[in-house]
Amino acid sequence: MTGERILVVEDNPLNLKLVRDVLDAAGYDVVSATSGEEGLRVAAERTPDLVLMDLQLPGIDGTETLHRLRRDGMAPDVPVVAVTAFAMAEDHARAERAGFDAYVEKPISVRSLVHQVRQLLDGRVS
Amino acid sequence: MADQTTARSSTAGDSGGVDRALAGTRDLAVATEEILAALGRAGANSGEILDIVIERAVRLCRAHAGQLHLNEGDVYRLSRGSSLVPDAFRRYSLDHPIARDRRSLMGRVVADRTTQQIGDVLADPEYGRQDLQRLSGFRTLMCAPMILHDEVVGALSVWRLEVEPFDDQHVELLSAFAAQAAIVLRQVDLTTELESKVDQLETLRMVGQAVTETLDPDEVLSRILRGAVEIADADGGFVAAYDDADGSMEVRVLTGDQDDLLARLEAAIDDPETPNVFGRFGTAAIQGELLAIPDLAQETTDPVVDVLLADGWRSLVGIPLQREGALLGHLVVERSTPGGFAADTHDALLTLAAQSTAALVNARLFRELQTKSAELEVASRHKSEFLASMSHELRTPLNAVIGFSEVLLDRLFGELNERQDEYVRDIHNSGRHLLELLNEILDLSKVEAGQMTLEPTVFRVTDALEYAASLVRERAARHGIRLSVETAPDVGTVSADELRFKQVVLNLASNAVKFTPDGGAVDIRAEVLAGELLVTVTDTGVGIPPEDRERIFESFQQGGRGVAREEGTGLGLTLSRRIVDLFGGRLWLESQVDVGSTFGFSIPMGTPSDAGDGKGQHPLLLLVDDDRASLDLVTAYLEGAPVRLVRAHDGEAALRCLATDRPAGVVLDIRLPKIDGWEVLSHLRADPSTAHVPVVIVSVVDERTRGLEEGANEYLTKPVSRDELVGALVRAGLPMTPLTGAGVEGAP
Repeated sequence: MTGERILVVEDNPLNLKLVRDVLDAAGYDVVSATSGEEGLRVAAERTPDLVLMDLQLPGIDGTETLHRLRRDGMAPDVPVVAVTAFAMAEDHARAERAGFDAYVEKPISVRSLVHQVRQLLDGRVS
Repeated sequence: MADQTTARSSTAGDSGGVDRALAGTRDLAVATEEILAALGRAGANSGEILDIVIERAVRLCRAHAGQLHLNEGDVYRLSRGSSLVPDAFRRYSLDHPIARDRRSLMGRVVADRTTQQIGDVLADPEYGRQDLQRLSGFRTLMCAPMILHDEVVGALSVWRLEVEPFDDQHVELLSAFAAQAAIVLRQVDLTTELESKVDQLETLRMVGQAVTETLDPDEVLSRILRGAVEIADADGGFVAAYDDADGSMEVRVLTGDQDDLLARLEAAIDDPETPNVFGRFGTAAIQGELLAIPDLAQETTDPVVDVLLADGWRSLVGIPLQREGALLGHLVVERSTPGGFAADTHDALLTLAAQSTAALVNARLFRELQTKSAELEVASRHKSEFLASMSHELRTPLNAVIGFSEVLLDRLFGELNERQDEYVRDIHNSGRHLLELLNEILDLSKVEAGQMTLEPTVFRVTDALEYAASLVRERAARHGIRLSVETAPDVGTVSADELRFKQVVLNLASNAVKFTPDGGAVDIRAEVLAGELLVTVTDTGVGIPPEDRERIFESFQQGGRGVAREEGTGLGLTLSRRIVDLFGGRLWLESQVDVGSTFGFSIPMGTPSDAGDGKGQHPLLLLVDDDRASLDLVTAYLEGAPVRLVRAHDGEAALRCLATDRPAGVVLDIRLPKIDGWEVLSHLRADPSTAHVPVVIVSVVDERTRGLEEGANEYLTKPVSRDELVGALVRAGLPMTPLTGAGVEGAP
């Protein structure tokens, strides 16, 4: 399959590399950013089909970045997935309230990440 | 001298004298009876009784008038007079007391302690109180001493306006009356003393009570001060607190509104001449001595005394406030007149100080405790923040360790040889173990901070047990351990926090597998007993010796038995017990060395099965969503609404709940594990018993048309605001009285 473009916004280089390599291997076109501001730029230039966003980012955080992405006119059907720490129920609640389409728990499970991304991309067929 | 007749001159042998003696005795008996009756009368005051004594003495002695003097230091002053004592004489006598000298009859009587008379005062060359004679006109004067405890406390006199000496009978009568007057005085003294003691005790009691009613140290001091002023009948006062860290005194409370006095006092205390000593006050207090200054004007210069004198103080008494030898402060009361305070006032103040200091110590301890607990709260918050940030910092690299090793184990980028596979598996397991430890530490700190909140849902006990078993089955199989799950037929669903319930069962099951030798057995069982759900995990392990049975519930303590194949975190049992506590149940252990152990826990059975069919109960609303945050949000939206809520995390649980709990309405998500929302909806509409139940779909999936076609009453797309949700429920036929308070806004 595929070639769909996924934007990964993640400030930790190792985690970014892990997610990038796994999605790469699954055949996606991965673009990345290490801050919210950079994420906004990349999203505007490369029009991703899905965004994976860490909630805790330097500068503007994940939630704020999401708001700006939507405000700046990113297609509303592009799923934006929050990446949250496990056992932080309040993070889940915050992600939900902030309007994320889904969340992925850390530590990211290689198998379920690929599965979840696939489901979200399939689900947005309107 | 012929005029001066000594009392008791004999008239015996005179028969008329016998008759008169008899009459006199009778008269005296009657008078005594009257006096005793008056003494016994409740409420009779001393003056009233003494007046009776004087009047009877005058009448029976056939005198013109009579009077009673009381001792006052070196002199005797008029206390009471009979009805015929002229007013001018009365007034004059009050200002001119009688000295103990031979110039007056009374002076001689108190000196000689005998009853005496002067036949004619004008003929007595020694008599020197002509001033009194002129005002009263007396000529023959008789006086008897009132003796009490060997002291002449007063004198009773009678007189005639003509020169006519009293006979022996009268001398005896007056002596007897004087003795009775003395008794009256003693009685009255005792009564007055008793009454004032009772008053004082009552005041002390009330002050003591008032003092212990507050835990504010300054309020305690001010109540002590108010009580002291009342007890001492003082005009004012202050209390200074002693700080034994630097030996300083600080005025903490003053009577009245005297900010300027306070300022001047502080200035005097801070005088470099008397650094931190507080003048005479501090010295006395530190030495634990009572300080009495009867007249401040007579004092040698002291900076504090000067200030007080300038403020109108004339006399004062200072009491050290001590507790077990330690000085706490100094209580000072004052009067604006010189003269000082009586000794019994000192005693009362000392008593007050003694009984109040405990309250003061308590108040101070309480204040310290408050400060300490505020500090502890801050420390505990810091700990929580530290744990939260540490767990984040530790997780980030762990994510990489676990993630990359998983990529390798999944052969995402090629084959591994056997040894590489083994090492990568070790890395992965170690990473998982560390993460588990981290999560348990975080959970435990949440429990301890009281921040772990349970989210009860209704779930099937068997499912939870099977889930836990499935996670340890592989390991059990590797070691040839037989693993079974048995649920009694009457165990259906339970209302509890499903995630935490599973966590406990999993912990017990994995412990059992870890510590059971190869070829053993682990049985997980559930039954209902006396309204409680009992879950037990029994193994055929080495057992736990009695001395270890409590220890293993402590953090980082593991059973020291045999060779542990796998290391646990050492926190699992501690955490499990705390979680079961939160459930309102208990976790216990039964064990026999070399036979095995049974860990069990009980939790109260929820009663979600009584459906919302009237009886004044609110209808039951089933919330179906796999996302806890969404459920929390909906729950928050519906707080205060006339509904009871029950949750289901997947389609299967939703269908079970529909069958058993008969909810009056359903809020349904579409994307669900196991059975999705569409399937739940079609089952529900196909079943005649649930076909009528209103359904509101709340989902990220925007398929409104399909939803309504398949039988949903309302269709909302996430995110949903409270007003949208409540509006949809009302339109679907679920009565929602208007909710109060500001609407919780959902995301735009």
